[in-house]
Amino acid sequence: MEKRFTVKDFSLFLVLALLGVLVLLAMYMVDRQWTKLAEMQSIMEEQAQDLRGLRNQLRTLEQRLAGGGVALRGGAAGEEAVPPAFRRAWDAAQRDDYAPGDWFVAAFATGLKTITPLVSSDAYASEVQSYVLESLLTRDPETLEWQGLIARDWKVSQDGLRFTFRLRDDVKFSDGTPLTAADVAFSFAFVMDERIAAPRHRAYYEKMESVTAAGPHEVVFRFKEPYFNALALAGGMEILPRHFYAPYLKAPETFNQSRGLLLGSGPYRLRDPKGWTPDLGLVELERNPRYWGPVQPSLNRVLWKIIANDAARLTTFRNGEIDVYGARPREFQRLVDDRQLKARAQHLEYMSPTAGYSYIGWNQRRGERVTRFADKRVRQAMTHLTDRGRVIDEIMLGYAEIAVSPFNPRSPQHNPAVKPHAFDLDKARALLKAAGYEDRSGNGVLQGPDGKPFEFDMVFFQDNEDTRRIVLFLKDLYARAGIILNPKPTEWSVMLDLINRKDFDAITLGWSSGVETDIYQMFHSTQTVSGGDNFINYRNPELDRLIERARATVDEAKRMPLWRACERTLHDDQPYTFLMRRKSLVFIDKRMHNVQITRLGLNMHALPVEWYVPPRLQKYTR
Amino acid sequence: MHIYILRRLLLMIPTLLGITLVVFMVMAAAPGGISAQSLIEGMDLEPQAKKALEDYYNRRYGLDQPAPVQYLRWLNNVSPVGFTLDAEHRIDGFSLWKGSDLGTSFRYGRPVMDLLAERVPITLLLNLLSIPIIYVVAVAVGVRAATERGRPFDVGSSVVMLALWSIPTMLAGVLLIGFFASEQYWRWFPTAGLNRREALDMPFLPHWGALWDVLLLFGAMAAGAAAFLALSRWAPRRLRAGVAALVGAGLGYAMAAALPGGAGWGLQLLLAVALAGLFGAAGYTDFAGFRATLLGTLGVMLGAHFGAGWMGEGFVRGFLLDRLWHLVLPVLCLTYGGFAFLSKLTRSAVLENLLADYARTARAKGLAEGQVLWRHVFRNSLLPLITVSASLLPALLGGAVIVEAIFSIDGMGKLAVEAVQGRDRELVLSITLVSGLLTLASYLIADLCYAIADPRVSYD
Repeated sequence: MEKRFTVKDFSLFLVLALLGVLVLLAMYMVDRQWTKLAEMQSIMEEQAQDLRGLRNQLRTLEQRLAGGGVALRGGAAGEEAVPPAFRRAWDAAQRDDYAPGDWFVAAFATGLKTITPLVSSDAYASEVQSYVLESLLTRDPETLEWQGLIARDWKVSQDGLRFTFRLRDDVKFSDGTPLTAADVAFSFAFVMDERIAAPRHRAYYEKMESVTAAGPHEVVFRFKEPYFNALALAGGMEILPRHFYAPYLKAPETFNQSRGLLLGSGPYRLRDPKGWTPDLGLVELERNPRYWGPVQPSLNRVLWKIIANDAARLTTFRNGEIDVYGARPREFQRLVDDRQLKARAQHLEYMSPTAGYSYIGWNQRRGERVTRFADKRVRQAMTHLTDRGRVIDEIMLGYAEIAVSPFNPRSPQHNPAVKPHAFDLDKARALLKAAGYEDRSGNGVLQGPDGKPFEFDMVFFQDNEDTRRIVLFLKDLYARAGIILNPKPTEWSVMLDLINRKDFDAITLGWSSGVETDIYQMFHSTQTVSGGDNFINYRNPELDRLIERARATVDEAKRMPLWRACERTLHDDQPYTFLMRRKSLVFIDKRMHNVQITRLGLNMHALPVEWYVPPRLQKYTR
Repeated sequence: MHIYILRRLLLMIPTLLGITLVVFMVMAAAPGGISAQSLIEGMDLEPQAKKALEDYYNRRYGLDQPAPVQYLRWLNNVSPVGFTLDAEHRIDGFSLWKGSDLGTSFRYGRPVMDLLAERVPITLLLNLLSIPIIYVVAVAVGVRAATERGRPFDVGSSVVMLALWSIPTMLAGVLLIGFFASEQYWRWFPTAGLNRREALDMPFLPHWGALWDVLLLFGAMAAGAAAFLALSRWAPRRLRAGVAALVGAGLGYAMAAALPGGAGWGLQLLLAVALAGLFGAAGYTDFAGFRATLLGTLGVMLGAHFGAGWMGEGFVRGFLLDRLWHLVLPVLCLTYGGFAFLSKLTRSAVLENLLADYARTARAKGLAEGQVLWRHVFRNSLLPLITVSASLLPALLGGAVIVEAIFSIDGMGKLAVEAVQGRDRELVLSITLVSGLLTLASYLIADLCYAIADPRVSYD
């Protein structure tokens, strides 16, 4: 009789398997406790170190007191205590319902690859880094003027090539090491080191010649040529702690392949400056307990969850697990009236200066052949035919404004007298007729002087629903004037290839912009070379001269008229049909107070932190 | 046999070469090609800076070389035997044991091996949970459907499973999140991710405030399970159907009452009737295993619910339970569509054998129907299942793009799709290589399993 597998055997086997699994789980558990213990130990060590430092300071103070070497600095300490950069945060902290505490939770739509500075390339990573790393200067959100953060003050040499910054002497990195001019000089040297995978940043700082420490708290930036954006370049450079990053010069590959090496002097820090990995599924920053600033950040933690699916993100926001939700126009309109959402969220619509504009680029030379868009009258006619008002009303539901030029209409670069070309079918027809295009055969389609129909391809990114609708709408509009538009939805990598080879008739895309927009890359004729951003082959010698002069003018009062002259030329030439600037549409949890719209946009990620949560609304304890 | 295995193993090498070559050719020939362009866009740079950037990536990853050279270099990197290269990427020797290296992904700037090591455990976890569920349920239902062909169970199960199969995962995932993870309806499950932030600070295993609570919870669960198993095993059909339907109606009512803002009469009635019908049917059916499983689970869950309610303070969910709680909806999405195919396959195989002569003989010599089914018929019906299970091994590592995207899980599926979109040469080729290798290996294992399951098959 063969041995049979009975119920008894089965239960024995089951019990054994269960035991095995339990032992395994218990092992895991002990392992986790061990890492927790190590974490706590490191915190204790840090605090012991702080205590030692404090005791030393106290001792020296005592000695100086005993020696009578301390002179009180007068009674004006209270007023000068708050530097202008911290003024807004200070004002918020003086409000009646202000209290420190609580968390701010946001969501990213894609996972992060790395949050190591220089190596990371996406906007999400730089959002995280902005809380941890600080720079010499920061822009005032209302006046848009630069003001000192780590720099106490700065001087510019006569020729605009030398910038000398005096640093504050009380700044410390989040591990307690003081920040000195050597760290600033190191940050530049580190970026410029060929072995570090930061080609992007190297290209960005290309105009900078050297950064040297002239003293422990004085640093000098030298530029190769006068550059209008020099102060932003020098003052916006993120300062990396030398003692933390310098060892990686010996092991550059470790740095290049790292995922979370992030340490700085900012108001927040990673609990473990070397330990972040993408598989945690979130980024968490905690308040930097050693923050040097006169105003401590209000929120205890800043958290980013990774939620890829749009519907899931909205549901998570409804559940109150994230505090911000950015909506698209159609969705926004629907959600604004949602009763449940109204009860717990405030909604905001605003124009962000950095959001940029979308446009249609008319290629003037495809391969060796000059296209019909090389004629200025044709381009003007196309702009007159593009009913931007209706596009905005019907597709963007009014949550956008017509773009007049590449310059932000709220910046001094823009001349308010320049108005967008109006939608005008007759004028467009007249312009086209003057350029030699009219309907000779009577079939409703315009023919050029060579008898060929006016027909062109429009390349656009296939995965953007709004763009697709805009292109289809334009197809109908242009058809009314007898022009045939063939929509060409395209994959992103193919699109890049087409742009590189300049192999398209018309393309719709967007440019993001900064506070002061530089147009050299898009419109200067030297940029028509392969790989340049002037992929529409637009050449205007007069504009070239204006752009060059504007870029080399460091004095803002002299520069702005030059930019305005550029705008006038662009408006007349219409190398692009500028479409629109979109509004940012966001919902924000009502817990968050002091939500304001500044000239830099929403003060969501403004640093020093301006938002706070009143005590009765605080949700996350600890 | 050994010679056969050896031959098959050696044959894998040219097959894998062919697979990677075709993939590489398609990638190189696709519009856009293999280039670092997607790395360079995004920042308004001047052309000379862009050129420098492109040169940098080309030098670093050898992207400017002709496609055949790129492929050969990759091949040399991957194969354990080959040329060794110096720092300037020039050949400086030949080695028999240089080791294989999957290279560095240029989108992520990190070794492919690291990326795989990060993603594989997550995908493995999902698949190790969902594949067994699919197989157990589908095979059980398939066998039952074959023995009851034409009866309500057969028709009903095939209708339900085909209906499930035809629901797109995209829709189901979004609906599940919308209904069972949202404040607006029932917020039972999390919306995204693999664990909550709080879970990172929790102990790994669940933790109770007092020993009494542990006993209470497990006691309640055991009592619930015992009560419902007893009901399923011994109670007469009408009684157990009635009790199950009553419990279902109660649950439906409780569910409707749990809706924020309360529910109207219609919805309460609808939910109560629906759940009553579902559980009533589970209690009514004479498919004992199915009934016991369903009612037993119901008992455990009711016990856990009441036990948790009676427990004192101090219960911490723990990392493990939190992880499992996050996996419920994704696993549900991964499983529901997979039942139909396997159960239909099982059904037809078992049915064919049930009608065979040997089954009639077995019955004629007086064997019980259960013996005939499981000892004779089922073993003979395994062959088609083995064929299908050849896809099991690659499936374990194959990610589910849609489910991963909906529930924000960073698994292999997303990695593969992003790699293809970014034309990430190393990553695409490595993923192809790994999945190709697993597929070929599982074909071999399946072929060997034929020989074990069916003595007629021999490879000598």
